[in-house]
Amino acid sequence: MKSKKLSEKIIKTFKNNGFVLSEPDVLLDSEYIIQRSGENFRRSMLSFENEEGKVMCLRPDLTVASCIKFLEKKTNSKIYYSGQAYRRTDKKGANLINDQLGIEILGSKNQLQDDFKVFKTILNSAKIVKSKKIQIKVGDVGLFKKLINSLDMPERWKLRLIRHFWRPKYFNELLERLENNSDIESVTFDTDKKRFYEMKKMDQDKVIAGRSVEEILKRFDKKIKDPRAFTEGEQIVKIIKSFLKINCKLSQLDEVLLKFAKKNDLKKNIFKDFKSIKNLKKLNQKIIFITNFGRNIEYYTGIVFEVFSKKKEIARGGRYDDLLKSLGAKKNIPAVGAAINLNNI
Amino acid sequence: MKNSITIGLPSKGRLKDKSVSFFNDKGLKVLQSDKERNYFASIENKPNVKIIYLHAKEIIQRLGDGTLDIGISGLDLLKESEKNLQDKISIRKELNFGEADLVVAVPHDWIDVQTIADLEEVAFDIRSKRNTRLRVATKYPNLTNNFLISKGVTQYKIIPSLGATETYPFIGSSEVITDITSTGKTLEDNNLRVLKDGMILNSKACLLISKKSMGKVNLLKF
Repeated sequence: MKSKKLSEKIIKTFKNNGFVLSEPDVLLDSEYIIQRSGENFRRSMLSFENEEGKVMCLRPDLTVASCIKFLEKKTNSKIYYSGQAYRRTDKKGANLINDQLGIEILGSKNQLQDDFKVFKTILNSAKIVKSKKIQIKVGDVGLFKKLINSLDMPERWKLRLIRHFWRPKYFNELLERLENNSDIESVTFDTDKKRFYEMKKMDQDKVIAGRSVEEILKRFDKKIKDPRAFTEGEQIVKIIKSFLKINCKLSQLDEVLLKFAKKNDLKKNIFKDFKSIKNLKKLNQKIIFITNFGRNIEYYTGIVFEVFSKKKEIARGGRYDDLLKSLGAKKNIPAVGAAINLNNI
Repeated sequence: MKNSITIGLPSKGRLKDKSVSFFNDKGLKVLQSDKERNYFASIENKPNVKIIYLHAKEIIQRLGDGTLDIGISGLDLLKESEKNLQDKISIRKELNFGEADLVVAVPHDWIDVQTIADLEEVAFDIRSKRNTRLRVATKYPNLTNNFLISKGVTQYKIIPSLGATETYPFIGSSEVITDITSTGKTLEDNNLRVLKDGMILNSKACLLISKKSMGKVNLLKF
C-alpha cells in the first residue's frame, strides 16, 4: 500500500531527528479527558462503563494520550506516535477512526530550539508526502495576549477576551458587547450590598456551595471596584479587529507589526518576544503569518502552524504550554508538537 | 387496524387534566375506562382512536418509535431528548398550559454571581485555583450543555440528577443547578436564585406528532 510506505518514510524522518516511539494506551479514563476538554467533548468520545463502574473511552486524540502516558513517567520526553484515534462527530459519514502520525517534545526547556526542531521535522515529513506547492501558515496565540495586556481596559475584560480567543463565535459576541458597552451588569447592587455587610459579620471560612464566604465577598468587592462597563470599548474593539486582520509574508512581519503599533499609539516593543516565528525565516520557505489563526484548538499557547498543499491540510501543530498541567502535572511542563494528517494524503 | 390512531397523554396531575380538556374542547370527548386505574381510554364515536396514559418522558420515546401517532408532552422533554429522536417528531402546536422555565440557579448568598458571565469567571477561578471544575446538577444535561457552551462557560461538569436537584449545592453534590420552575418558589425556598440571564428554555405543553404518522393523523380534525 502506498500510504503504508509513506508512513514508514515519515517515521524514519522522525527517528532520524531523535524522536522515540511512544505507545499510548488505547483506553483512557473519560473523566480525565473531560477535565481538560470540558463537558462538551463528552459527546465526541466513544465511551463505555467498565466493570468497576468507571467510564472509559477510546483515545480521542494521540497528543492527549501521549501526554497522559508521559505523566505516568512511562515515556521519553521527545516522542513520536503512530496509531489510531477515535472520535465521533456530528457530520454524517465522517470517519470514526483517524490515523495519526506525530511528534511531541514534552517538557520543552529550550523554546526557540524545540519549536524550530518540531517545525523543521514536520515540514521535512510533509515534503515526503507532497513535495510540490507546499504552503505554510503560521500564527502565534501569544501575540494576541500581548496585545490585550498592553491595552487600557478593565482587568476582567482582558481575562475574558484572552480566555475566549480560541472560541471565535463567542469571542465576536464579546467584542460586540465591548463595543456597545452593553454587557449585562447588575444595576441594583443595593440589596446585595446589604447582604454584603451582613455576610462580613459571618464566619469567613463558612462554605456556601463549595465557596467560602471570604471568597465570595472578595470577588463582590473586586467587582464593584473594577466594573466591566467602561466607555472606551469602541476604540479598543477597533484595535483588536484590525490586529486580527494582519495577514502578511513572514518576511514583512516586523514592518507590519511596527506600523500597526504606531498607527494605534501602542508601545513599539509590545510584540518584541516572538523569536520562534522570526526564527522560521532560516528555512527559506514561503511562509504566511496570520494573526487570526490557530484559534480552534483550546490548548495552543504560542506558535501555531499548518502545512498545506492545494488547500488540503497536510500537517499542523503548535506550542501548548498549559496542557500537561491541566492533565494533572504538578508544575508547568511546556510542550510543542505536530502531526501529519494521513487522511488527506 | 389500518388508520387506527394511538394518542399518548400524560398520566398524572394537572398536565393530564389539561390534556384531556384540550381534546374535549376540540369536540373529541375522552371516555375514561370504568376502572379508575386503567391506563387506556377512548374517544366518543371514534372507534379507531385509542388513548394511552404514559409518563410525559415516555410519550416522547414512543412517538419516536412509532408506537404513538400523537402525544402531548413538554417542550423541555422533547428538546432534551436525543437528536435522532427529535428528528422523528414534529411539533404540531404549542399549547397554553404546562408552562415552566428551565433556568440556571445559584446559591442565594453567592452575591457576586448575578449573570452567566459571572458564573463563567467563577468557573475559571475554581478551575485555576483548585484544578477541579464547577459542578452543575441537572435533570437536563443536553439542554444545559448547549446553553452553557453557547454562553462561553466551558469549565464545568454535569452531575446528573433525578430529583430534588435544589438540594445539591447544599449537600456537597454540586455548586450550582439548572432546573425547571414555574413560580420560582421551590428555588427560593431552597435558598437558590435564578441568574439574570439564566433562562435556558421557556417550556410549555405541546401537541406532538410522530412524523411517520403525518398522513393518518390528519383524519382527526384538531
